[in-house]
Amino acid sequence: MKERIIQYIKHEICNEPLEGIDVQDDLLGSGIVDSMGMMKLVLFLENEFKVQISTEDMTVENFMTVKNIMEYLSKK
Amino acid sequence: MNKPVGISIPLTQSQLLLWTGQKLNPEVPLYNVPYAYVISGAVSESVFSMAFQKLINKVDVMRTIFFEEKGQPYQSVLPHLNYTLEFVDFTSTTSDKEVRDWMGRRSQRLFDMSRPLFDAALLKVDDERYIWFLNVHHLIIDAISSIILFERMSEIYSLIQSKDVGEITELPRYTAYVNFEANQRKSDTHEKNESYWKKKLKNGLETPPLYGPKKPTTTTRSERVGVKLGLERSHKIKELAARPEIRAWTQDLSLFNLFATLLFVFLYRVSGQKKISVGAPFHNRTANFKETIGLFIELFPIVDELVEEDTFFSVLQRIRLESNNNLRHAQPGMATFDIGKSFSAVLNYMTSSYPDFDKFPTKSEWIHPNHSDSAHQIRCHVADFDATGEIEIFFDLNHGTFDQSLYQKVPQHFLNLMDAMLANVNTPINQPEISTEEERNNLLEKSAPNNTYSSFLELFSKSVADSPNETALSYWDKELSYMALNKKANQLASYLQQQGLKPKDKVGLYFFRSPEYIISLLAVMKLGATFVPIASDQPSERITYILENANCSLVLTDSMLRVGMNSGPARVLEVNLENISAIIYEERAIDRLPNKNDIAYILYTSGSTGRPKGVMISHGALSNYLQWAMVYYKMDKAFIFPFFTSIGFDLTITSTFLPLLSGGELVIYRESDSGPDISLMQVIADNKVNSIKLTPSHIALIQERDLSSSKIRTMIVGGEDLKTNIANLIKKSLREKTRIYNEYGPTEATVGCIVCEFDPEQHTGVSVPIGKPIFNIDVYVLDTYKNRVPQGVVGELYLSGSGLSDGYVNMDSLSKEKFVKNAFVPNARMYRTGDLARLNNNGNLDYLGRLDEQVKLNGFRIELSDIEANIANHPAVENAAVVLLNGKHSIPESEVVNCTECGLPSNYPNADFDEQGVCHLCTAFKGYKEKTDKYFKTEEELKLLLTSNKNKDRYTGYDCLSLLSGGKDSTYILARLINMGLKVLAFTLDNGYISDQAKANIDSIVNKLGVDHIYGETPHMNKIFVDSLHRHQNVCNGCFKTIYTLSTKIALDKNIPFVVTGLSRGQFFETRLTEELFWDDTADTTTIDDTILEARKLYHQEKDAVKQLLDVSMFNDESTFDKVQFVDFYRYSNVSLSEMLQYLKDKVAWVRPTDTGRSTNCLINQVGIYVHKKEKGYSNYSFPYSWDVRLGHKTRAETLEEINEYIEEKEVKLIIEEIGYEEPNDSNENRQRLVGYYTGNSKLPSIELNRHLSKKLPEYMIPSLFKYLNELPLTGNGKVDKAALRSLNDVQLEMDTPFVAPSNEIEELLEGYWKEVLQLNKVGVHDNFIALGGHSLAAIRVTTRINDELEMGFPLNKIFDLPTIAEYALLIEKTIVELLE
Repeated sequence: MKERIIQYIKHEICNEPLEGIDVQDDLLGSGIVDSMGMMKLVLFLENEFKVQISTEDMTVENFMTVKNIMEYLSKK
Repeated sequence: MNKPVGISIPLTQSQLLLWTGQKLNPEVPLYNVPYAYVISGAVSESVFSMAFQKLINKVDVMRTIFFEEKGQPYQSVLPHLNYTLEFVDFTSTTSDKEVRDWMGRRSQRLFDMSRPLFDAALLKVDDERYIWFLNVHHLIIDAISSIILFERMSEIYSLIQSKDVGEITELPRYTAYVNFEANQRKSDTHEKNESYWKKKLKNGLETPPLYGPKKPTTTTRSERVGVKLGLERSHKIKELAARPEIRAWTQDLSLFNLFATLLFVFLYRVSGQKKISVGAPFHNRTANFKETIGLFIELFPIVDELVEEDTFFSVLQRIRLESNNNLRHAQPGMATFDIGKSFSAVLNYMTSSYPDFDKFPTKSEWIHPNHSDSAHQIRCHVADFDATGEIEIFFDLNHGTFDQSLYQKVPQHFLNLMDAMLANVNTPINQPEISTEEERNNLLEKSAPNNTYSSFLELFSKSVADSPNETALSYWDKELSYMALNKKANQLASYLQQQGLKPKDKVGLYFFRSPEYIISLLAVMKLGATFVPIASDQPSERITYILENANCSLVLTDSMLRVGMNSGPARVLEVNLENISAIIYEERAIDRLPNKNDIAYILYTSGSTGRPKGVMISHGALSNYLQWAMVYYKMDKAFIFPFFTSIGFDLTITSTFLPLLSGGELVIYRESDSGPDISLMQVIADNKVNSIKLTPSHIALIQERDLSSSKIRTMIVGGEDLKTNIANLIKKSLREKTRIYNEYGPTEATVGCIVCEFDPEQHTGVSVPIGKPIFNIDVYVLDTYKNRVPQGVVGELYLSGSGLSDGYVNMDSLSKEKFVKNAFVPNARMYRTGDLARLNNNGNLDYLGRLDEQVKLNGFRIELSDIEANIANHPAVENAAVVLLNGKHSIPESEVVNCTECGLPSNYPNADFDEQGVCHLCTAFKGYKEKTDKYFKTEEELKLLLTSNKNKDRYTGYDCLSLLSGGKDSTYILARLINMGLKVLAFTLDNGYISDQAKANIDSIVNKLGVDHIYGETPHMNKIFVDSLHRHQNVCNGCFKTIYTLSTKIALDKNIPFVVTGLSRGQFFETRLTEELFWDDTADTTTIDDTILEARKLYHQEKDAVKQLLDVSMFNDESTFDKVQFVDFYRYSNVSLSEMLQYLKDKVAWVRPTDTGRSTNCLINQVGIYVHKKEKGYSNYSFPYSWDVRLGHKTRAETLEEINEYIEEKEVKLIIEEIGYEEPNDSNENRQRLVGYYTGNSKLPSIELNRHLSKKLPEYMIPSLFKYLNELPLTGNGKVDKAALRSLNDVQLEMDTPFVAPSNEIEELLEGYWKEVLQLNKVGVHDNFIALGGHSLAAIRVTTRINDELEMGFPLNKIFDLPTIAEYALLIEKTIVELLE
């Protein structure tokens, strides 16, 4: 799961070419991903992991790092 | 545009929208994106120029051109473009202005689409300062692309400087995005997302009326106003954005949400509209396109509906969800024209900033090309281009919505809201004042106060002392001097005092306009009592109510009005000029000077509850108005006013009191005892007065008169909105120096409290402003939270100050609701007028209609006065009124009750039930039942009649033709006729819908009875059904007429002298008999039969489908009606239902068909009942069956069962489709529509008015129907009578003739009959009888009534020859004159 998410971020949505992303990297605050990119990620996650992510759940807490995202998904 | 060499590439959706927008505005640079990059450093001109050429070589959109091929736009990239960068030297100029002007001009340069869409120059300001001017068409660029382009330029410049030219990399191509976007549009998700946006747009998004309603804007002109937030605010809003309860994924998204919240609140606060849509760009750049230059953005609407209780935070919470939802569905290529049209405000939050240009500090300025999309009323750009940490907001304000006075206010209002939000995000959105301190001071503009109170009596005494012998009142051919008037008033006062009248007592003054009224009010005031004027035309119940409500101890009136007045406990005294002087009491000056707080009068105005409300006006308030008016209108002895308006109308206070205070003259015009009040016409004809107070509707009445020699030089207009066109018309027809004043004031603020002198030069809007407040009056325009709205914004008008009423008599809760605590002045009250107003740019108040005149149609809030003003603005229109018709108000079936005797449903037109629940028809019938008995006869008589021909030569075999439908009634008839030994030919119309069982019945009956039988048919049957459904909302009328027509023809051909019908007795009353026929005691059955025959002849002349489609030539021959007579069997038979069924069972083995509705053997009958019920609410059998019950041929229970029978809608719909009937789709119950009435020289084509209005009003505000009237109907107070305008029915509205009300007694008499018989609320004298649904039966009813009332003998057909009230009235008049001679 981790790799798939990181790969997606790296290839599809990140703002600048990245060497690698750590699960603890702040995706949102650092500007790696903008809101439109994050929404693309949400759609990807929904599709890839067959989950529904409600608008209410689209918070910084759930999406700041890859780790947060994985924790959030695991609760779904 | 020529097709270039190269590949034709289609446009992206976003490009397509801009391309179309530009094509619609070919001469306007509305999509130019010009930037000025101010570079502080010694730029090398040659390197810069070289770098720019390299930039063009590397960036494909810089070489892109556009063209059309078969109407489709395409783009193509030129392989090479040699560009010489223009260099402009400004080093010799000293002012920045020259540079700015140059850039301003260049920014507006139009692009040739077939050439590259950019323009660039390098401006040298001085050795250390250069400006790179770059203007690019939006088709190939957006905000982020501009920054990328700038960065690439800077990079190339730097590489050339360092001679690293080889390092310049190729840039990603926009064409890649074009392909990507096209594929996205074909993807599955596209369709899913499309439905999201469609759903969002479906719920009627309306343009908010920013700073007051505007006409739809069509200009692209716009003003850009920038405002810097300052570092403190910028810092605070970023802090707010970071709060856990506020932050979204990114800081940018959080800030976007906060600015969106502010914009929503702002738009709501300056428009009052709650449902708002704001377009916001989505950048559409995902991983592969981060560095591509071109047009990526697409705008999508954020929609929110605010509620009054919202706080900034509660709005933000919704916006946050909304923007996330939008993000989810904003896929590249989703933008459409519809989406683009769904917002009129744009929030453009720009995230990026510009770096330095090759180490030189650079400032970037986005130049406004003075134009933007005409659909965008307001655009709000948020940016920090130079990354200073200070946010700047640019507002693009469309000139159609914002005038100059608002340019600087908009950012201030926005900042006021922002500061409130930053102070506390939980602030209610309606709480902060948005207007500036400066505006608030201006809003409270007051006229100079005047604190010297003199009571009316003091002022009047002065007139008496100054002009004792001048004429005070003139009436008929008499006059009363000031001294004489005062003397009579004193005499009456002494008398009343002697009779026990005390100060503060209430006295009703129930008078015609007369000297007695004036004397009485003076006398009452002299005693310190309060007068309550009651006009002569008031209904008696209302008078009783007023006297009781006001607690009047006394009523003064005259001998004529006294009759029939129920004064309750109040004493009644008659006053007339003669007996005043006869009163023995010596003339004693009684002048108890009233206190400011004493109540001078109580005026009753109509209340929304249906009960009039008594407005108490103190002497202080009265004098405040009068003292102001004396000064303002420069009153002196020369003023002569007519007293011609109702004494119950506060406008009349001006005419009656003002001249008496200035030593002027009051000319009294008494109203007539009955009928319309035409005193105004007399005022004009007499030409005695030089001043007048009237309503705009009054002006409309007189403005066609020749007023060139009129003496009027002061015209005070009040009571209604004064439209500019009316004011202009009257201004032109009066003497040049005539002054026209628009005086505004509700009764509750004493006659007039805001005034404006009409100035044709200055007042060019649709209505004349109401102007500025008078002495001691404060005016506030407030929103629902009682905040003062900014100048320009519409709010409710509140009044405060000396002119305010003390409230309503005995209506404490209403008084508290309308007279509230003044929020701005301690211990003062203010009155909520319920009127909408705004302070216009000239500091005058504009009146914008009643708050409750705001109607909602299909969710749109509409100001009727706005539409009226715009219709009236048409050069050929004089006056206009608009009403919203609520369409049919059908009573829910559960609420319908039925007459306890006959079962008539209560939703039958004009049904009137008494306390026992008995309908008016039953009650009336009891009065003439006996007379109807002689109309009915026996079977013996029938046999005699039908065999009477046997002896004649003509006899050819058949005694009669019997109409056989196969039902019980007609089968019974056939059997009985055979039983009489008659030779009968049976006839059945095969209308195509006779049930199989019924057909089998018919065959077996004729077999069993051994009679000859023929079927008739016509290929036109379905057309006849459809026509009948349209005309009568049933099928039976059409079917019957077809049967009568075909059977008459057969009878003629076969020389059969009689046709026997199976109509029930109830049906006689539906088709032949009316109660009027039995009114005349002397009329025998022969007279009735003659009338019916006459009606039958007319019946066959009615121009319906039968007349058009069948052979009806024989009806043109009078002898046909002789040769073939119609006989109704049941006129001769009184058989009961059980007897009949028994007989049928025994003799012909008749069985009731089970494959049709119960009431008939005919399948299509259900369609008739269905349509009738749907259109009229009740079954078409309700009326005839009620007669069957009344005549004892049916029981009430049987009737109810049949008229309430269930109808299978599915089957009915099939038949409806089969016969080709189109159900009116407007028959849904709550269909509302706007109807515009107008007056003018002549009727205008509706399309002309439509065209006129569509230039000024949005589609939903354009009336669906326009109706020309000679005059607008007025209420007693001279205001447009909207209730009357709402009472015209659909047919009357659709009629091509103008509506003209009856103007004489005969016309009124006829109108009364027509209204009753045709069941209408109103009839115009030119309305056509037939078009209104008048048929032969209605002709009987109307004609009989006329003949009865006037003792005339007009034949029935006269009403078809002279089908309008006007024509018929002339005939009556002529006949009367002839009789008299």
